[in-house]
Amino acid sequence: MSETILPFTGFGLGLRKEHHAQFLSAEQKVDFVEIISENFMACGGRPLRTLDAVRERHPVIMHGVSMSLGSPMGLNREYLSELKSLADRTRPLWVSDHLCWTGIPGHNSHDLLPLPYTDEALATCIANLKLAQDVLERPLLVENPSSYMTFPESTLSEWQFLRLLAEEGGCFLLLDVNNVFVSSVNHGFDPLEFLAAIPRDRVRQIHLAGHSQGPEGMLIDTHDAPVCAEVWALYAQAIDRFGPCATMIERDDAIPPLGELLAELEQARTAASVPA
Amino acid sequence: MTLLDTQRAFVAEIAADDELPPSSLGMEIYRNAYRGRLADALMVSFERTRRWVGEEMFEHASAHYILTHPPQSWTLDAYGEAFPQVLAELFGEDPEVPELAWLEWHMQQAFAAPDDETLSPEALAAAGLGEADWEHLRLAPAAGLVSREVSHDLAALWHALADGETERSVLRPTDPAMLLVWRKDLSPHFRLLEPGEFAALKPLFDGASFGETASQLGETELPRFGKWFAQWLNEGLFSAIVR
Repeated sequence: MSETILPFTGFGLGLRKEHHAQFLSAEQKVDFVEIISENFMACGGRPLRTLDAVRERHPVIMHGVSMSLGSPMGLNREYLSELKSLADRTRPLWVSDHLCWTGIPGHNSHDLLPLPYTDEALATCIANLKLAQDVLERPLLVENPSSYMTFPESTLSEWQFLRLLAEEGGCFLLLDVNNVFVSSVNHGFDPLEFLAAIPRDRVRQIHLAGHSQGPEGMLIDTHDAPVCAEVWALYAQAIDRFGPCATMIERDDAIPPLGELLAELEQARTAASVPA
Repeated sequence: MTLLDTQRAFVAEIAADDELPPSSLGMEIYRNAYRGRLADALMVSFERTRRWVGEEMFEHASAHYILTHPPQSWTLDAYGEAFPQVLAELFGEDPEVPELAWLEWHMQQAFAAPDDETLSPEALAAAGLGEADWEHLRLAPAAGLVSREVSHDLAALWHALADGETERSVLRPTDPAMLLVWRKDLSPHFRLLEPGEFAALKPLFDGASFGETASQLGETELPRFGKWFAQWLNEGLFSAIVR
């Protein structure tokens, strides 16, 4: 298995069903598309045909939400096997998932749940990550999630945890700049301290997204709005630190016409080309 | 406390009912997200059922389902599988509700069912079967094919709801009939079968040969078997010849 992922710079969007027809009818001004892996796993019919057609025009990235790297009971082998089948068929630029857990045996929350940043959690994530990478025969990208609570037993910061995971687990990182911002507001840390601790040579992709206002000053990672000014500013800082990097705008709710997202992607191109 | 202990307690808290208030603002956010995501999944999967029973009744049913049926699969797409059964319990006086929910669920399952070719009449003709081959011919069912008995004209209800009609007058009870769902090429289909038709079709789906199936049919069904078989082929109810 290759132990590295070659950098790919460019600007992309998530492939959402609201825009399938446009992606099928013409080449769009994106350098890649990102799919939610689970939407195309263990299935056939129109979803897979759509993916096959789109990947003839655009490179594809597979982004998962169900691996549950932080599960002490280990990974779901059936899930891994289906993910491998899809990766073999799709031949993506890379496969990514989140630093989180999604449930316990017999009960899946279908959410990206927060981990206590402890040695036990780190060992769990590293073991699961290595297994996933062995099965998939490729290194993974791991994304920092937004979170709404912390654990008193944590002995590491999120950025220390991510750095150790990348160094000891051999993965690369998907830096979600919006998630850094949301968590920094929710937990009161300096987002620049987060960026400064992330190893330069490990970031292969950046996510940008909008969020919404939650109760008592909390921010919620809702992916239902344009990227806000603070996140654009943090993105400029990230590009300054990590250099040109595949950048994607995520929108999963209140999905606007494709043209609006393409215009927002132009904004990312511009922001990435201007020094912070 | 181990990581697993922490996670078990976390899941118990987000999945608890309102009698157990969340222990923190963060936990409240995760609980709301958990409930919201599952409720959204049910709304998307059972859009027509929701329209038929009304928003308030649907929300009540979906809240009950979320509390009593924790998701188990790695895919959220599997979440509504037992919802039609739960609706059968909640809407005991309205059997069309679980029937409609079952149809919606399986139309969606058929849409994305793992790929199978459709066996066309031309493909069957091209197989060059001799008389003896027909006797032993076995056929595999189409992608996503399922059946159940229903007591209402689900086709009329399905199309009325698509047109935004929710008046009770669109509901037409029928004699018990078999409802079939399957996918032909890329599109899911359904049809209420004629009386006797399912008895003729089921053995083929169960793996019986063409000859075995014909020999099991009564005097009424046998003459119609040839006509039905041509229709089944045109409708794409089979995916392949089983070799």
